Amino acid sequence: MSYSASKTLPYKVELYRQLKRKRTAFAYAFVLSLPVLVAIAVKFGPSGNSGGPTRLGSGTTDLIGLATIGAANFTTTMLYFATPFLLVTVIALFNGDTVASEASWSTLRYLLASPVPRTRLLIQKMKVSLTLSAIAVLIMPISAWIVGTIAFGTKPLQTPLGATFTNSVALSRIAIMTGYLAISLLFVAGLAFYLSVRTDAPLGAVGVAVGISILLNILDAITALGSIREWLPVHYAFSWFDALATTIDWSVMIRGASFCFISGTILYALAINRFAHKDITS
Amino acid sequence: MKFTGLVTLFLVSAISCNPSLASADSVQIRTINTADTVSLDTSLYLPKKVPAPAILIAHGFGGSKDSVAQDAKYFVDKGFVVLTWTARGFGKSTGQISMNAPTGEVADTKALISYLALNKNVVQDKSGDPRVGIMGSSYGGANSLMTASADPRIDAVVADITWNDLQNDLFPQSAQGVATPGPFKKVWAGTFFSAVSLQSAYLGECGTFTQAWCDAYTHAAINGAPSKDEEKLLSSVSPKNYVQSITAPTLLSQGQADSLFPLNESVNTAKAIEKAHPQLPLALIWHAGGHDGGADQGDYLREQYLQWFKKNLLKEKIDFPAFQFTKTNGSISLQDSTVIPKIFSSKQLPTDSAVKQLQLVTPTVALSYPIGGIPSAISALPGIGSAGALVSRVASSIAGFSPALLPGQSGLLESAPLKEPISVVGPSSIKVRVTSTTGDATLFFSLVTKSPSGAISQPNGIVAPVRLTNIPQTGTEVTINLPSAILDASVGDVLAVAISSTDQGYDLPKPSRFYSVSALSPLSYTSSDATAARSGSANLIWPIAALITLILAAIYVRVRRPKIAPSHENSTALVEVENLGKVYKDGYRAVSDLSFSVERGQVVGLLGPNGAGKTTTLRMLMGLIFPTEGSIFIDGKPVFPGSPALANLGSFVEGPGFLPHLSGRENLSLYWRSIGREGEQYLDEVVAITKLGTALDKKVRSYSQGMRQRLAIAQAMLGMPDLLVLDEPTNGLDPQQIAEMRQVLKDYAATGRTVIISSHLLAEVQQTCSHVVLMHRGQLISFGPMKKLLAKNRKANNLEEIFLELIGDDLVIGKEKK
Repeated sequence: MSYSASKTLPYKVELYRQLKRKRTAFAYAFVLSLPVLVAIAVKFGPSGNSGGPTRLGSGTTDLIGLATIGAANFTTTMLYFATPFLLVTVIALFNGDTVASEASWSTLRYLLASPVPRTRLLIQKMKVSLTLSAIAVLIMPISAWIVGTIAFGTKPLQTPLGATFTNSVALSRIAIMTGYLAISLLFVAGLAFYLSVRTDAPLGAVGVAVGISILLNILDAITALGSIREWLPVHYAFSWFDALATTIDWSVMIRGASFCFISGTILYALAINRFAHKDITS
Repeated sequence: MKFTGLVTLFLVSAISCNPSLASADSVQIRTINTADTVSLDTSLYLPKKVPAPAILIAHGFGGSKDSVAQDAKYFVDKGFVVLTWTARGFGKSTGQISMNAPTGEVADTKALISYLALNKNVVQDKSGDPRVGIMGSSYGGANSLMTASADPRIDAVVADITWNDLQNDLFPQSAQGVATPGPFKKVWAGTFFSAVSLQSAYLGECGTFTQAWCDAYTHAAINGAPSKDEEKLLSSVSPKNYVQSITAPTLLSQGQADSLFPLNESVNTAKAIEKAHPQLPLALIWHAGGHDGGADQGDYLREQYLQWFKKNLLKEKIDFPAFQFTKTNGSISLQDSTVIPKIFSSKQLPTDSAVKQLQLVTPTVALSYPIGGIPSAISALPGIGSAGALVSRVASSIAGFSPALLPGQSGLLESAPLKEPISVVGPSSIKVRVTSTTGDATLFFSLVTKSPSGAISQPNGIVAPVRLTNIPQTGTEVTINLPSAILDASVGDVLAVAISSTDQGYDLPKPSRFYSVSALSPLSYTSSDATAARSGSANLIWPIAALITLILAAIYVRVRRPKIAPSHENSTALVEVENLGKVYKDGYRAVSDLSFSVERGQVVGLLGPNGAGKTTTLRMLMGLIFPTEGSIFIDGKPVFPGSPALANLGSFVEGPGFLPHLSGRENLSLYWRSIGREGEQYLDEVVAITKLGTALDKKVRSYSQGMRQRLAIAQAMLGMPDLLVLDEPTNGLDPQQIAEMRQVLKDYAATGRTVIISSHLLAEVQQTCSHVVLMHRGQLISFGPMKKLLAKNRKANNLEEIFLELIGDDLVIGKEKK
């Protein structure tokens, strides 16, 4: 019997193991349901279709008022809705549950003893959970665009700042926003993954990751903290908004994306280090 | 208030210690007589290290030296001597306001420079010529420009939100080559005037204004137009007529949210300086603030001013961009809907940018003007900014309606929907023909964008007023200087010249009339090749930091890997356990000094009561737990997490572990594919052992304890590893299954493979094992072939009795053995 560490826990096998889980399907259904529910609410709700775009400075955030203009606007609004909580939860689920659930099923010790080297196990798990997370982030705008097209048709993207983009430009902007969003979620992903390694309770890891993210968001909302907030990874959650400007200023997005990447990388490294020295007692 | 206290404190300490103490961080308050009737209240701030170059900071209209105390503190902290003073006619200073007249306020400032020339704390270029910069905003900005024009001793100038031509600000005329003053900017003029007259009501309606200025205002407010004398007066305090003689490097900064002194003022000043001295260092900043409010960029501006002074007073090598501007349409905060300013910079002044042309398609617009101009459009209001919008631009999402452009009273000369995005940065102009039914016209021009949805954006609500008289029936042709603007139009948008016949902020004619405005030329506009100021190095630093983090993380993970023991080359035993010990983090010692070895083909029983350390030992054998002492070798190779030695080991420890949502067969198949081994997996043989039958294709979730147990043992046997480690394999099995299991294990060992079984059921092990490792309290009690063990202890005839004999009375509950 020949053994080769690089052949243990292949990506495809781990992906299959995760895709077969109901949790995965539920998470995707959760993401898909948002645009559908919002579209139905706007189309058939009590004030159905009469609202029209809200004026600037009227109290509501302008992006939401513009949601019903067309598919592009609807997609942007859905990204806005999904950024702070929905995607954070889903990403925390994919990354926080992955190792901890193996521990809770007792499968972890059999994989490690087989042996799948510990770092390899984590890296394979990381690749798969990041793939699942990326799919979730992609599903959001794609489904929103489809639902938006059905419900409101395709009209040029109108930004709250008064600019208007044709559909092709709008699509490229949405691609930029989605790409940024994906990178900026690396912090939550890393955090959940680190917690997943630390605990044997899958929901504990997910819950704490979401909890910390909410806490940081609250801190970020305290303007009195001033520039300290620039060091919170969640501070950059909405920086994709810069991609709605006529000429994009990349500086904040670059800073935000790099910062989230850095904090995510540190957390992944800590997770791997922690796991490498851990006594597996589950 | 706090600051005054601080100042007093400094003053007291300065006097009581040593008034001439040069190195002390202190403020000297002094009253300086600059003219017969004028004595100025001044503060001299000294930095830690003197002598140093000095900066004069002039305050704005209606303020005093205290209103620039914060700036003073900033620059003194940066190592400059700072002199602030209250201008004549304000605060504690005496004298009358003459709006920065050369013989008035400007003479005062020159006297202050002479005062600095005698101060040994200030660096002197030569006798009587101190190294000095001057800065100020608004009224103070005009003072810096006027003083710098009049006094060559000044070495650097910063003028913020100030005027170029006061007449053109109070009576703005945006038609080129038309001498007629424009409409009176009544709301702003009133605000300006009342700042003085309301502040000290007992001085009467003129406040501390000189009689000439008071009369001029009263007259203009009544007539709506200046007389020849007033024009002369306004001209006498307009930098436009003086800046040609500036010899010091000049930084002009102007606000976009400024309907009092719009961006064009800085363009005109820059043009005049450039024309007179093409080589003079000149820089321009268009920030997001201004007299209308706008976004606060105080920190950014202060930093830029500091750079300017460092470059020109300290002669530091600083690359200062010729032109910086702030875009306010880049991003808005989703938290409070405020604009997040984005700064761009360019090597080229907007006055030097190439002029581009855009064809307009609307030929003519017709406008009505109601009697007295009521209702009036609202574009911008003093202190409030552009009407109707929190963001600093008038944008209306309701198609066709904007408070700045009332229906019937306004019209748009539009371009075709744009095929390419256009970015306007700087002045623009258009030639039009204007007709009026009354022979005169007061019109307000602006550059706007219209989105496909009809929403109109007018940058900051700034308009270019035009007043034309003696218009013939056929109309008059004029070129209009549109407001300088920073504006982005995207593909599909329309760029348009908006014309309104009314505006709340201006003095309007009484009789009603109709106008028509026709475009005679394409729209001429300027653009900038600017890049985001914070880009460049800052944009690169972060991705580089990210990359470095990634590399460091990879190194960290590698370096921190657990250490591995060297292999035992000349070992014959399959398993060798050497002086093994484990102390858990909580201090619990589970195993101590355990040594034994297992040869091929043996069935070894690891025996002991619960808590003897059996499972801990097996987990260490599987590389799950790190031993604190000693080491384990399989086939001579050390065991550590992920050790290749483990590839020859099949295990079942502390219960089964399966993915509950998959069937038994899928679980076995995925496990096999996960463990990265090639070769025969003996699936059929293994499956036969499980005796699961059709249940194999059901989800593991539905299995009974026994079924899972058998599936787990089958999993351990997959691929028939040389070493099989089973922890309590018979737990949860019924007697018949136990018997079968016994046979399975014997058969397995018969193929020359090795089995290690742990159990607390000693009798059971006795029937299965060839060798025994007896453990108690983490220590080895006995180790050897079963037969030998049984033979040695003649008194006892089974393992259980032997065990009890070996450990003595230690098993008695509650009695501790020392």
